[in-house]
Amino acid sequence: MATGALHPGRLIDVQARPRQLSVQALSWMLFIVCIGFYLHVSATRHRENSEDRVVPSGAQLLHGIKASVLEPAEEDDALEDGASTWQRIHHSMLWKDTASSSRRFFISLALLVPAILLGLHMAVFPYIGAVCLRFVLFFDKIVALSLLPILFIVFGIDEWSKIMLMVIGVAPTLILDTYQMAQAVPREQVVKAFTLKSSNFDVAYRVVLKQILPQVINSVRLNLKPMVLFLFAGEMIAATDGLAYRIAIMRRHMGMDIIIPYLLWVAILLYGVDALLRYANRRLHPWF
Amino acid sequence: MVLAAKVEELAAPMEASVHTEISLQDVSVSYPAEKQQRKTVLSGVNLEIEAGEFVVLLGETGCGKSTLLRLILGQEFATEGKICVDGKSVTRIDARCGYVPQKYSLFPDRSALDNVMYGPLNAHRKFAGWFRPSRYRYRKQLRTEAKEYLTRMGLRPGDMKKYPHQLSGGMQQRVAIAQCLMMRPPVLLMDEAFSALDPSTRASLQQLVKQIWSDWRPTVVFVTHNTPEALLLGTRLILLTRHTDQETPHSNVALDMKLPVSDELLSARKQSKEFRELVEYVERFTCPGPELVTQSPHGQDFV
Repeated sequence: MATGALHPGRLIDVQARPRQLSVQALSWMLFIVCIGFYLHVSATRHRENSEDRVVPSGAQLLHGIKASVLEPAEEDDALEDGASTWQRIHHSMLWKDTASSSRRFFISLALLVPAILLGLHMAVFPYIGAVCLRFVLFFDKIVALSLLPILFIVFGIDEWSKIMLMVIGVAPTLILDTYQMAQAVPREQVVKAFTLKSSNFDVAYRVVLKQILPQVINSVRLNLKPMVLFLFAGEMIAATDGLAYRIAIMRRHMGMDIIIPYLLWVAILLYGVDALLRYANRRLHPWF
Repeated sequence: MVLAAKVEELAAPMEASVHTEISLQDVSVSYPAEKQQRKTVLSGVNLEIEAGEFVVLLGETGCGKSTLLRLILGQEFATEGKICVDGKSVTRIDARCGYVPQKYSLFPDRSALDNVMYGPLNAHRKFAGWFRPSRYRYRKQLRTEAKEYLTRMGLRPGDMKKYPHQLSGGMQQRVAIAQCLMMRPPVLLMDEAFSALDPSTRASLQQLVKQIWSDWRPTVVFVTHNTPEALLLGTRLILLTRHTDQETPHSNVALDMKLPVSDELLSARKQSKEFRELVEYVERFTCPGPELVTQSPHGQDFV
């Protein structure tokens, strides 16, 4: 019963060994089910009301995607008729919103590097740990979204309030995660490093950080979604562009033909960043 | 018990040494325990270890062997007393001692070759910048030297590029020993370095360590709870026992004796009658029970 054709009983067989082809096919199954279900619901609603906008049909969605990718946002000037496809894409609503949200996202990601280093130092240098650990543990319990009004007051409603919301929201988790990973490095390794003429910073960066880096990258991967969550919260409240801003605007017009492609686009972007980090981790740390 | 009698003679106070490598004076270690009391691990330990000795620390689990090793290493501090290595007081972990632990002895993110080169490159970096040409020349030279060490330890060229998780436990320990030897530390500390290995790998590593010691003569402090291993390897045996009958239970040196260094091969030595007698003699101190069982129910020797 270990190999061969798929039998329903095998779904709960711990010792089952599915073939690579079966794994590939099964991994797409739920996507197909979801698409099928959506098309069924959409078709049913459109039979009752051909102008239904709650569950747009395939044609409506295609129209929405085309409008997002090739047409500028409502607040921007329209392009000349002779503009090339590339010019259209470059000035499109989706491009503009993606660029704005990505800029905020990647600045926040860069600002999280010091958080990782702080976690490392807290674990490696006992005095830094003594100073920071209790504070970070407490700070971690503050609900980041409750800080949003304070951030708007301090940083204004421009870019920095949204960026700082993401940093403040994710940094304590990342600091504590890195701290725990660095603490878990066997003490023998640290002792060994000192017997091999390592300095304090050699131990911190060339022994401990190098060993935990793949786990830190995995931790960043797991925190991608919370980061985007904070980004969306900021953009929905106070922004003039961005993916979440557009979704919030479209909600007012019941523009599901735009909202659904935007949601899928955000998921694809996040999946891409996650895949990139996973690939980098595999290439940079073959020992992990 | 002819040999045991000889051993008792040898167990007499040591002669004044030419050069004392490690000294422990009235060393006591205790930890805070429940109800504001302290748990004493070691009490009043005095030891003088000469340069070039192969000292084996023997004792049952929890008697403070590893604590004693960590004190020499500088990883732990004595509550009372003074510890000196090479004439200088031990206040922190440094390169005076090489260290081979039971596990996690290699950096998992480096290949076997890079693990061995780690120490010398660190030492060189102190006086040569990262991007100076001399560093690259030195690195090349070091690579050749590291390969020689690893070949001597029994690694094939293909194994040198492997990461620690791709090597067997025995291979990992061989690389760990090479890593220490590259630094040429005056003192080599081994904390149950072979206890996680299978008997045949263990035997081959015992031979290897003994060979290295014969060729290079570092001061070795080897912690084990295996009596035959202790007697096979050491030139001096220090046995720690825990005194639980006293008001404050603590461990101390119960037996300190020089061991006869035989030229015979270790395996041949292990099978001799004298050796079995010696094991029996030492185990009397380790397990002060009513009867020392040395034979299995089928009449085969445990030794």
